[in-house]
Amino acid sequence: MAEPSLELVDVRYRYHAGAEALRGVTFSVAAGERVGLVGPNGAGKSTLLLAIAGFLAAEGRIRVAGHTLNRSTARDVRRHLGIVFQDPDDQLFMPRVGEDVAFGPVTMGLAPEEVRVRTAAALDAVGLSGFEDRSPHHLSQGEKQRAALATVLAMRPQILALDEPTAGLDPRARRRLIALLQSLTTTMLVVGHDLDLILDVCGRAILLDRGQVAADGPAAEMLRDGALLESHGLELPLSVAGRA
Amino acid sequence: MHHMMLDQFAAQQTPVRRLDPAAKTVAAIVFILAAVLVRKDHLLPFTLLAAALAVYHAVGKVPLLYTLKRMLMVSPFALAIVVLFPFLEPGRVVWTLQLGPWAASVTDAGLLRAGHLGCTFALCAVTTLLLLATTPFQEVLSALARLRVPRAFVVQLAFLYRYLWVLLDELMRMRRARAARDGGLGPWSLRFRSHAGVVGVLFLRTYDRAERIYWAMAARGFDGRLPAPPTQRMTSKDAVFLCGVAALAAATLTLDRLAYG
Repeated sequence: MAEPSLELVDVRYRYHAGAEALRGVTFSVAAGERVGLVGPNGAGKSTLLLAIAGFLAAEGRIRVAGHTLNRSTARDVRRHLGIVFQDPDDQLFMPRVGEDVAFGPVTMGLAPEEVRVRTAAALDAVGLSGFEDRSPHHLSQGEKQRAALATVLAMRPQILALDEPTAGLDPRARRRLIALLQSLTTTMLVVGHDLDLILDVCGRAILLDRGQVAADGPAAEMLRDGALLESHGLELPLSVAGRA
Repeated sequence: MHHMMLDQFAAQQTPVRRLDPAAKTVAAIVFILAAVLVRKDHLLPFTLLAAALAVYHAVGKVPLLYTLKRMLMVSPFALAIVVLFPFLEPGRVVWTLQLGPWAASVTDAGLLRAGHLGCTFALCAVTTLLLLATTPFQEVLSALARLRVPRAFVVQLAFLYRYLWVLLDELMRMRRARAARDGGLGPWSLRFRSHAGVVGVLFLRTYDRAERIYWAMAARGFDGRLPAPPTQRMTSKDAVFLCGVAALAAATLTLDRLAYG
Protein backbone atom coordinates (compact mmCIF):
# COMPACT_ATOMS: atom_id res chain seq x y z
CA MET A 1 0.00 0.00 0.00
CA ALA A 2 1.24 3.47 -0.84
CA GLU A 3 2.42 5.67 1.99
CA PRO A 4 -0.40 7.74 3.47
CA SER A 5 -0.39 11.46 2.69
CA LEU A 6 -0.96 12.30 6.29
CA GLU A 7 -0.31 10.17 9.32
CA LEU A 8 -0.89 11.05 12.97
CA VAL A 9 0.10 8.74 15.81
CA ASP A 10 -0.89 9.56 19.37
CA VAL A 11 -0.71 13.32 18.91
CA ARG A 12 -1.06 15.28 22.14
CA TYR A 13 -0.96 18.97 22.90
CA ARG A 14 -1.49 21.01 26.03
CA TYR A 15 -1.92 24.80 26.01
CA HIS A 16 0.02 26.87 28.52
CA ALA A 17 -3.15 27.55 30.41
CA GLY A 18 -3.25 23.84 31.18
CA ALA A 19 -6.18 22.59 29.15
CA GLU A 20 -5.27 19.49 27.19
CA ALA A 21 -6.50 20.24 23.67
CA LEU A 22 -5.34 17.06 21.94
CA ARG A 23 -5.37 13.81 23.89
CA GLY A 24 -3.86 11.14 21.71
CA VAL A 25 -5.15 11.61 18.17
CA THR A 26 -4.36 8.81 15.72
CA PHE A 27 -5.48 8.55 12.10
CA SER A 28 -4.06 8.48 8.62
CA VAL A 29 -5.25 9.85 5.30
CA ALA A 30 -4.44 8.08 2.03
CA ALA A 31 -3.26 9.99 -1.02
CA GLY A 32 -6.21 11.52 -2.86
CA GLU A 33 -8.60 10.89 0.00
CA ARG A 34 -10.95 13.69 1.12
CA VAL A 35 -11.58 13.64 4.83
CA GLY A 36 -13.93 15.81 6.86
CA LEU A 37 -12.86 16.63 10.39
CA VAL A 38 -15.93 17.42 12.44
CA GLY A 39 -16.65 18.02 16.09
CA PRO A 40 -18.19 20.48 18.54
CA ASN A 41 -16.61 23.80 19.52
CA GLY A 42 -13.45 23.31 21.48
CA ALA A 43 -13.00 19.72 20.26
CA GLY A 44 -9.46 20.54 19.15
CA LYS A 45 -10.03 20.75 15.40
CA SER A 46 -8.21 24.02 14.83
CA THR A 47 -5.48 23.03 17.28
CA LEU A 48 -4.96 19.84 15.31
CA LEU A 49 -4.63 21.84 12.10
CA LEU A 50 -1.98 24.08 13.67
CA ALA A 51 -0.15 21.02 15.00
CA ILE A 52 -0.10 19.39 11.55
CA ALA A 53 1.44 22.56 10.13
CA GLY A 54 4.09 22.54 12.83
CA PHE A 55 2.97 25.77 14.47
CA LEU A 56 2.40 24.04 17.80
CA ALA A 57 4.97 21.67 19.23
CA ALA A 58 2.72 18.66 19.76
CA GLU A 59 3.82 15.35 21.20
CA GLY A 60 3.46 12.19 19.18
CA ARG A 61 4.28 11.51 15.56
CA ILE A 62 3.04 13.49 12.56
CA ARG A 63 4.05 12.58 9.02
CA VAL A 64 3.06 14.85 6.14
CA ALA A 65 3.71 13.75 2.56
CA GLY A 66 6.42 11.37 3.71
CA HIS A 67 8.20 13.87 5.99
CA THR A 68 8.24 13.39 9.72
CA LEU A 69 7.34 16.70 11.29
CA ASN A 70 9.73 18.24 13.76
CA ARG A 71 11.20 21.65 14.41
CA SER A 72 13.74 21.41 11.62
CA THR A 73 11.41 19.96 8.98
CA ALA A 74 8.43 22.23 9.63
CA ARG A 75 9.31 24.50 6.73
CA ASP A 76 9.68 21.60 4.26
CA VAL A 77 6.45 20.08 5.48
CA ARG A 78 4.57 23.31 4.82
CA ARG A 79 5.62 23.20 1.18
CA HIS A 80 3.50 20.09 0.79
CA LEU A 81 0.65 21.23 2.96
CA GLY A 82 -1.65 24.03 1.84
CA ILE A 83 -3.62 25.48 4.72
CA VAL A 84 -6.53 27.82 4.16
CA PHE A 85 -7.25 29.54 7.42
CA GLN A 86 -10.73 30.38 8.61
CA ASP A 87 -10.61 34.16 8.22
CA PRO A 88 -9.58 35.08 4.66
CA ASP A 89 -8.53 38.51 5.95
CA ASP A 90 -5.69 36.72 7.74
CA GLN A 91 -4.81 34.74 4.66
CA LEU A 92 -4.79 37.65 2.22
CA PHE A 93 -2.08 39.87 3.61
CA MET A 94 -0.63 41.43 0.48
CA PRO A 95 -2.01 44.68 -0.95
CA ARG A 96 -3.16 43.05 -4.20
CA VAL A 97 -4.80 39.69 -4.87
CA GLY A 98 -2.27 38.83 -7.59
CA GLU A 99 0.69 39.49 -5.31
CA ASP A 100 -0.92 37.44 -2.60
CA VAL A 101 -1.45 34.42 -4.83
CA ALA A 102 2.13 34.79 -6.07
CA PHE A 103 3.52 34.98 -2.53
CA GLY A 104 3.75 31.21 -1.99
CA PRO A 105 5.34 30.41 -5.37
CA VAL A 106 7.80 33.30 -4.94
CA THR A 107 8.91 32.14 -1.50
CA MET A 108 9.28 28.64 -2.97
CA GLY A 109 11.95 30.18 -5.18
CA LEU A 110 10.21 29.49 -8.50
CA ALA A 111 11.21 31.34 -11.66
CA PRO A 112 9.16 34.50 -12.40
CA GLU A 113 7.57 32.91 -15.47
CA GLU A 114 6.49 29.86 -13.47
CA VAL A 115 5.14 32.15 -10.72
CA ARG A 116 3.09 34.01 -13.30
CA VAL A 117 1.72 30.81 -14.82
CA ARG A 118 0.80 29.35 -11.45
CA THR A 119 -0.81 32.57 -10.23
CA ALA A 120 -2.95 32.80 -13.34
CA ALA A 121 -3.88 29.11 -13.16
CA ALA A 122 -4.82 29.29 -9.47
CA LEU A 123 -6.98 32.40 -9.97
CA ASP A 124 -8.59 30.74 -12.95
CA ALA A 125 -9.32 27.58 -10.95
CA VAL A 126 -11.27 29.57 -8.37
CA GLY A 127 -12.98 31.73 -11.00
CA LEU A 128 -11.16 34.95 -10.15
CA SER A 129 -9.26 35.59 -13.36
CA GLY A 130 -8.78 39.31 -13.79
CA PHE A 131 -8.77 39.99 -10.05
CA GLU A 132 -4.96 40.32 -9.90
CA ASP A 133 -4.95 44.06 -9.25
CA ARG A 134 -7.88 44.15 -6.85
CA SER A 135 -7.40 44.97 -3.21
CA PRO A 136 -8.51 42.12 -0.91
CA HIS A 137 -10.47 44.65 1.11
CA HIS A 138 -12.76 45.26 -1.83
CA LEU A 139 -13.73 41.63 -2.39
CA SER A 140 -16.95 40.05 -1.17
CA GLN A 141 -16.68 37.36 1.48
CA GLY A 142 -17.14 34.64 -1.14
CA GLU A 143 -14.47 36.13 -3.38
CA LYS A 144 -12.10 36.47 -0.42
CA GLN A 145 -12.66 32.84 0.49
CA ARG A 146 -11.92 31.74 -3.08
CA ALA A 147 -8.90 34.04 -3.33
CA ALA A 148 -7.59 32.52 -0.09
CA LEU A 149 -7.94 29.08 -1.65
CA ALA A 150 -6.09 30.30 -4.76
CA THR A 151 -3.13 31.48 -2.65
CA VAL A 152 -2.67 27.89 -1.57
CA LEU A 153 -3.53 26.19 -4.88
CA ALA A 154 -0.75 28.20 -6.55
CA MET A 155 1.73 26.26 -4.40
CA ARG A 156 0.35 22.94 -5.74
CA PRO A 157 0.45 21.27 -2.34
CA GLN A 158 0.01 17.51 -1.92
CA ILE A 159 -2.48 18.06 0.86
CA LEU A 160 -5.08 20.79 1.25
CA ALA A 161 -6.26 21.63 4.75
CA LEU A 162 -9.27 23.92 4.95
CA ASP A 163 -10.56 25.44 8.18
CA GLU A 164 -14.30 26.20 7.98
CA PRO A 165 -14.14 27.05 4.28
CA THR A 166 -17.84 27.96 4.02
CA ALA A 167 -18.04 30.20 7.10
CA GLY A 168 -19.84 33.42 6.23
CA LEU A 169 -20.76 32.40 2.68
CA ASP A 170 -24.22 32.80 1.20
CA PRO A 171 -25.79 29.69 -0.40
CA ARG A 172 -24.64 30.51 -3.92
CA ALA A 173 -21.06 31.26 -2.92
CA ARG A 174 -21.11 28.11 -0.79
CA ARG A 175 -22.40 25.99 -3.70
CA ARG A 176 -19.67 27.36 -5.90
CA LEU A 177 -16.98 26.54 -3.37
CA ILE A 178 -18.33 23.01 -2.96
CA ALA A 179 -18.25 22.45 -6.73
CA LEU A 180 -14.70 23.79 -6.77
CA LEU A 181 -13.54 21.47 -3.99
CA GLN A 182 -15.21 18.51 -5.70
CA SER A 183 -13.27 19.27 -8.85
CA LEU A 184 -9.87 19.08 -7.12
CA THR A 185 -7.99 15.79 -6.92
CA THR A 186 -5.70 16.79 -4.06
CA THR A 187 -5.75 15.02 -0.72
CA MET A 188 -8.01 17.12 1.45
CA LEU A 189 -8.71 17.68 5.11
CA VAL A 190 -11.82 19.78 5.59
CA VAL A 191 -12.41 21.07 9.10
CA GLY A 192 -15.79 22.46 10.03
CA HIS A 193 -19.33 22.48 11.30
CA ASP A 194 -20.86 22.53 7.84
CA LEU A 195 -21.75 18.85 7.76
CA ASP A 196 -23.61 19.21 4.46
CA LEU A 197 -20.41 20.46 2.89
CA ILE A 198 -18.50 17.51 4.29
CA LEU A 199 -21.19 15.11 3.09
CA ASP A 200 -20.89 16.60 -0.40
CA VAL A 201 -17.13 16.80 -0.60
CA CYS A 202 -15.65 14.12 1.63
CA GLY A 203 -15.84 10.35 1.39
CA ARG A 204 -14.71 9.90 4.96
CA ALA A 205 -15.33 11.75 8.20
CA ILE A 206 -13.47 11.85 11.48
CA LEU A 207 -15.36 12.97 14.56
CA LEU A 208 -13.18 14.71 17.09
CA ASP A 209 -14.39 15.45 20.61
CA ARG A 210 -12.45 16.62 23.64
CA GLY A 211 -9.18 16.11 21.87
CA GLN A 212 -9.81 12.52 20.84
CA VAL A 213 -11.10 10.70 17.80
CA ALA A 214 -14.63 9.67 18.73
CA ALA A 215 -15.52 8.10 15.39
CA ASP A 216 -13.86 7.51 12.02
CA GLY A 217 -15.60 6.09 8.96
CA PRO A 218 -17.45 6.75 5.72
CA ALA A 219 -18.98 10.23 5.83
CA ALA A 220 -22.24 9.00 4.34
CA GLU A 221 -22.74 6.62 7.29
CA MET A 222 -21.41 8.74 10.14
CA LEU A 223 -23.27 11.86 9.16
CA ARG A 224 -26.55 9.91 9.02
CA ASP A 225 -26.09 8.56 12.54
CA GLY A 226 -28.24 11.06 14.43
CA ALA A 227 -27.60 9.48 17.83
CA LEU A 228 -23.83 9.57 17.40
CA LEU A 229 -23.83 13.20 16.20
CA GLU A 230 -26.15 14.32 18.96
CA SER A 231 -24.03 12.72 21.67
CA HIS A 232 -21.14 14.87 20.47
CA GLY A 233 -22.99 18.15 20.27
CA LEU A 234 -23.72 17.99 16.53
CA GLU A 235 -26.88 17.37 14.59
CA LEU A 236 -27.83 15.71 11.31
CA PRO A 237 -26.92 17.63 8.16
CA LEU A 238 -29.95 19.44 6.76
CA SER A 239 -29.94 17.38 3.59
CA VAL A 240 -30.20 14.20 5.67
CA ALA A 241 -32.64 15.55 8.25
CA GLY A 242 -34.95 16.78 5.50
CA ARG A 243 -35.21 13.31 4.00
CA ALA A 244 -35.90 11.53 7.28
CA MET B 1 -17.61 47.64 4.49
CA HIS B 2 -16.15 50.15 2.10
CA HIS B 3 -14.20 53.11 3.33
CA MET B 4 -13.10 56.11 1.40
CA MET B 5 -9.88 54.94 -0.07
CA LEU B 6 -6.83 57.12 -0.42
CA ASP B 7 -6.36 56.15 -4.02
CA GLN B 8 -9.94 55.87 -5.22
CA PHE B 9 -9.26 58.01 -8.29
CA ALA B 10 -5.85 56.54 -8.96
CA ALA B 11 -7.14 54.13 -11.60
CA GLN B 12 -8.16 56.96 -13.96
CA GLN B 13 -6.17 56.93 -17.16
CA THR B 14 -4.54 60.34 -17.27
CA PRO B 15 -1.08 61.49 -18.38
CA VAL B 16 0.09 61.78 -14.75
CA ARG B 17 -1.31 58.36 -13.91
CA ARG B 18 0.87 56.86 -16.63
CA LEU B 19 4.06 58.39 -15.22
CA ASP B 20 6.47 56.04 -13.47
CA PRO B 21 5.45 55.96 -9.77
CA ALA B 22 9.10 56.22 -8.76
CA ALA B 23 9.43 59.44 -10.79
CA LYS B 24 6.29 60.81 -9.15
CA THR B 25 7.57 59.89 -5.70
CA VAL B 26 10.91 61.59 -6.29
CA ALA B 27 9.11 64.61 -7.74
CA ALA B 28 6.91 64.83 -4.65
CA ILE B 29 9.96 64.71 -2.38
CA VAL B 30 11.70 67.44 -4.42
CA PHE B 31 8.55 69.51 -4.34
CA ILE B 32 8.14 69.17 -0.58
CA LEU B 33 11.80 70.08 -0.06
CA ALA B 34 11.35 73.20 -2.18
CA ALA B 35 8.24 74.21 -0.18
CA VAL B 36 10.03 73.69 3.13
CA LEU B 37 13.16 75.55 2.05
CA VAL B 38 11.35 78.77 1.13
CA ARG B 39 12.62 81.23 3.73
CA LYS B 40 11.11 84.62 2.97
CA ASP B 41 7.64 85.52 4.10
CA HIS B 42 6.58 86.38 0.63
CA LEU B 43 3.77 84.98 -1.46
CA LEU B 44 5.49 84.73 -4.84
CA PRO B 45 7.53 81.52 -4.35
CA PHE B 46 4.52 79.83 -2.78
CA THR B 47 2.30 80.97 -5.62
CA LEU B 48 4.68 79.45 -8.14
CA LEU B 49 4.56 76.09 -6.38
CA ALA B 50 0.81 76.28 -5.89
CA ALA B 51 0.29 77.02 -9.59
CA ALA B 52 2.29 73.92 -10.52
CA LEU B 53 0.19 71.82 -8.16
CA ALA B 54 -2.97 73.26 -9.69
CA VAL B 55 -1.81 72.20 -13.16
CA TYR B 56 -1.01 68.69 -11.93
CA HIS B 57 -4.38 68.61 -10.18
CA ALA B 58 -6.19 69.47 -13.41
CA VAL B 59 -4.20 67.10 -15.63
CA GLY B 60 -4.69 64.30 -13.12
CA LYS B 61 -8.47 64.91 -13.10
CA VAL B 62 -8.58 64.84 -9.32
CA PRO B 63 -11.92 66.24 -8.11
CA LEU B 64 -11.43 69.46 -6.15
CA LEU B 65 -13.81 68.29 -3.44
CA TYR B 66 -11.67 65.20 -2.88
CA THR B 67 -8.59 67.31 -2.22
CA LEU B 68 -10.44 69.77 0.02
CA LYS B 69 -11.96 66.96 2.10
CA ARG B 70 -8.63 65.24 2.57
CA MET B 71 -7.01 68.56 3.46
CA LEU B 72 -9.61 69.03 6.16
CA MET B 73 -8.85 65.57 7.51
CA VAL B 74 -5.10 66.12 7.79
CA SER B 75 -5.28 69.74 8.93
CA PRO B 76 -6.26 69.79 12.63
CA PHE B 77 -2.75 69.41 14.05
CA ALA B 78 -1.18 71.92 11.69
CA LEU B 79 -4.08 74.33 12.19
CA ALA B 80 -3.57 74.28 15.95
CA ILE B 81 0.03 75.33 15.50
CA VAL B 82 -0.82 77.95 12.87
CA VAL B 83 -3.40 79.47 15.25
CA LEU B 84 -0.97 79.52 18.17
CA PHE B 85 1.95 81.05 16.30
CA PRO B 86 0.78 84.70 16.17
CA PHE B 87 0.76 84.67 19.98
CA LEU B 88 4.19 83.12 20.46
CA GLU B 89 6.47 85.03 18.12
CA PRO B 90 7.95 88.24 19.58
CA GLY B 91 7.36 91.40 17.55
CA ARG B 92 5.17 94.49 17.26
CA VAL B 93 1.84 93.93 18.96
CA VAL B 94 -1.09 94.38 16.59
CA TRP B 95 -3.94 93.02 18.69
CA THR B 96 -4.43 91.84 22.28
CA LEU B 97 -6.78 89.14 23.39
CA GLN B 98 -8.10 89.84 26.90
CA LEU B 99 -9.25 86.77 28.85
CA GLY B 100 -10.12 88.03 32.33
CA PRO B 101 -6.80 88.50 34.16
CA TRP B 102 -4.83 87.00 31.25
CA ALA B 103 -3.84 88.75 28.08
CA ALA B 104 -2.33 87.32 24.91
CA SER B 105 -0.86 89.48 22.20
CA VAL B 106 -0.79 88.89 18.48
CA THR B 107 2.37 90.23 16.84
CA ASP B 108 3.00 91.19 13.23
CA ALA B 109 5.97 88.85 13.01
CA GLY B 110 3.81 86.10 14.48
CA LEU B 111 1.14 86.57 11.83
CA LEU B 112 3.73 86.40 9.08
CA ARG B 113 5.23 83.23 10.56
CA ALA B 114 1.79 81.69 10.84
CA GLY B 115 1.02 82.54 7.22
CA HIS B 116 4.33 81.09 6.09
CA LEU B 117 3.77 77.93 8.08
CA GLY B 118 0.25 77.59 6.75
CA CYS B 119 1.43 77.90 3.15
CA THR B 120 4.23 75.38 3.67
CA PHE B 121 1.88 72.93 5.30
CA ALA B 122 -0.78 73.31 2.61
CA LEU B 123 1.74 72.78 -0.19
CA CYS B 124 3.29 69.71 1.44
CA ALA B 125 -0.10 68.17 2.24
CA VAL B 126 -1.52 68.78 -1.23
CA THR B 127 1.62 67.36 -2.84
CA THR B 128 1.30 64.15 -0.83
CA LEU B 129 -2.43 63.92 -1.48
CA LEU B 130 -1.93 64.38 -5.20
CA LEU B 131 0.76 61.72 -5.34
CA LEU B 132 -1.61 59.28 -3.64
CA ALA B 133 -4.60 60.41 -5.69
CA THR B 134 -2.86 59.73 -8.99
CA THR B 135 -0.89 56.61 -8.06
CA PRO B 136 -2.34 53.37 -6.71
CA PHE B 137 -0.89 52.82 -3.25
CA GLN B 138 0.74 49.52 -4.22
CA GLU B 139 2.68 51.36 -6.90
CA VAL B 140 3.85 53.96 -4.40
CA LEU B 141 5.07 51.07 -2.26
CA SER B 142 6.98 49.38 -5.06
CA ALA B 143 8.37 52.79 -6.03
CA LEU B 144 9.68 53.23 -2.48
CA ALA B 145 11.24 49.78 -2.65
CA ARG B 146 12.89 50.62 -5.97
CA LEU B 147 14.21 53.85 -4.45
CA ARG B 148 15.98 51.68 -1.86
CA VAL B 149 13.82 52.66 1.06
CA PRO B 150 14.49 49.90 3.64
CA ARG B 151 12.35 46.82 2.92
CA ALA B 152 11.12 46.59 6.51
CA PHE B 153 9.68 50.10 6.28
CA VAL B 154 7.93 49.44 2.95
CA VAL B 155 6.50 46.18 4.23
CA GLN B 156 5.27 47.93 7.35
CA LEU B 157 3.43 50.43 5.17
CA ALA B 158 1.98 47.64 3.05
CA PHE B 159 0.60 45.90 6.12
CA LEU B 160 -0.73 49.17 7.46
CA TYR B 161 -2.53 49.81 4.20
CA ARG B 162 -3.91 46.27 4.08
CA TYR B 163 -5.07 46.03 7.69
CA LEU B 164 -5.98 49.60 8.66
CA TRP B 165 -9.44 49.16 7.15
CA VAL B 166 -9.88 45.71 8.63
CA LEU B 167 -9.04 47.20 12.02
CA LEU B 168 -11.37 50.16 11.53
CA ASP B 169 -14.18 47.78 10.56
CA GLU B 170 -13.55 45.85 13.74
CA LEU B 171 -13.58 49.01 15.85
CA MET B 172 -16.76 50.18 14.18
CA ARG B 173 -18.50 46.87 14.88
CA MET B 174 -17.44 46.91 18.54
CA ARG B 175 -18.58 50.48 19.06
CA ARG B 176 -21.87 49.68 17.43
CA ALA B 177 -22.34 46.65 19.66
CA ARG B 178 -21.64 48.81 22.69
CA ALA B 179 -23.89 51.63 21.53
CA ALA B 180 -26.68 49.09 20.95
CA ARG B 181 -26.66 48.29 24.65
CA ASP B 182 -25.74 51.46 26.52
CA GLY B 183 -28.51 53.78 25.39
CA GLY B 184 -26.05 56.60 26.00
CA LEU B 185 -27.35 57.07 29.54
CA GLY B 186 -24.80 55.28 31.70
CA PRO B 187 -22.74 57.19 34.24
CA TRP B 188 -19.69 58.95 32.88
CA SER B 189 -17.25 56.65 34.67
CA LEU B 190 -18.84 53.53 33.21
CA ARG B 191 -18.77 54.98 29.70
CA PHE B 192 -15.13 55.84 30.14
CA ARG B 193 -14.38 52.31 31.35
CA SER B 194 -16.20 50.79 28.41
CA HIS B 195 -14.16 52.96 26.03
CA ALA B 196 -11.03 51.66 27.67
CA GLY B 197 -12.42 48.15 27.32
CA VAL B 198 -12.96 48.58 23.59
CA VAL B 199 -9.39 49.75 23.16
CA GLY B 200 -8.09 46.85 25.23
CA VAL B 201 -10.09 44.24 23.36
CA LEU B 202 -9.07 45.78 20.05
CA PHE B 203 -5.43 45.52 21.08
CA LEU B 204 -5.81 41.85 22.01
CA ARG B 205 -7.67 41.08 18.79
CA THR B 206 -5.00 42.84 16.78
CA TYR B 207 -2.34 40.83 18.56
CA ASP B 208 -4.19 37.60 17.80
CA ARG B 209 -4.70 38.62 14.21
CA ALA B 210 -1.01 39.39 13.84
CA GLU B 211 -0.25 35.88 15.01
CA ARG B 212 -2.75 34.35 12.59
CA ILE B 213 -1.36 36.41 9.72
CA TYR B 214 2.11 35.23 10.62
CA TRP B 215 0.88 31.64 10.52
CA ALA B 216 -0.70 32.21 7.14
CA MET B 217 2.58 33.67 5.89
CA ALA B 218 4.71 30.92 7.40
CA ALA B 219 2.35 28.30 5.98
CA ARG B 220 3.25 29.61 2.56
CA GLY B 221 6.97 29.53 3.11
CA PHE B 222 7.70 32.97 4.59
CA ASP B 223 11.17 32.96 6.09
CA GLY B 224 11.69 36.64 6.86
CA ARG B 225 12.61 37.67 3.33
CA LEU B 226 10.05 39.39 1.19
CA PRO B 227 9.62 39.14 -2.54
CA ALA B 228 11.73 41.62 -4.50
CA PRO B 229 9.93 44.59 -6.02
CA PRO B 230 9.03 44.44 -9.70
CA THR B 231 11.52 45.97 -12.06
CA GLN B 232 10.47 48.94 -14.13
CA ARG B 233 12.45 51.51 -16.04
CA MET B 234 11.89 55.21 -16.31
CA THR B 235 11.02 56.46 -19.77
CA SER B 236 11.94 59.75 -21.42
CA LYS B 237 8.53 61.14 -20.40
CA ASP B 238 9.35 60.47 -16.77
CA ALA B 239 12.71 62.15 -17.20
CA VAL B 240 11.10 65.23 -18.72
CA PHE B 241 8.60 65.35 -15.87
CA LEU B 242 11.35 65.05 -13.25
CA CYS B 243 13.48 67.72 -14.93
CA GLY B 244 10.48 70.03 -15.02
CA VAL B 245 9.83 69.59 -11.32
CA ALA B 246 13.50 70.06 -10.49
CA ALA B 247 13.67 73.22 -12.62
CA LEU B 248 10.56 74.57 -10.93
CA ALA B 249 12.01 73.86 -7.47
CA ALA B 250 15.28 75.55 -8.44
CA ALA B 251 13.44 78.57 -9.85
CA THR B 252 11.36 78.89 -6.69
CA LEU B 253 14.36 78.77 -4.39
CA THR B 254 16.39 81.14 -6.55
CA LEU B 255 13.52 83.60 -6.54
CA ASP B 256 13.31 83.24 -2.78
CA ARG B 257 17.02 83.79 -2.21
CA LEU B 258 17.82 86.44 -4.80
CA ALA B 259 14.83 88.56 -5.63
CA TYR B 260 14.02 89.30 -2.02
CA GLY B 261 17.49 88.98 -0.55
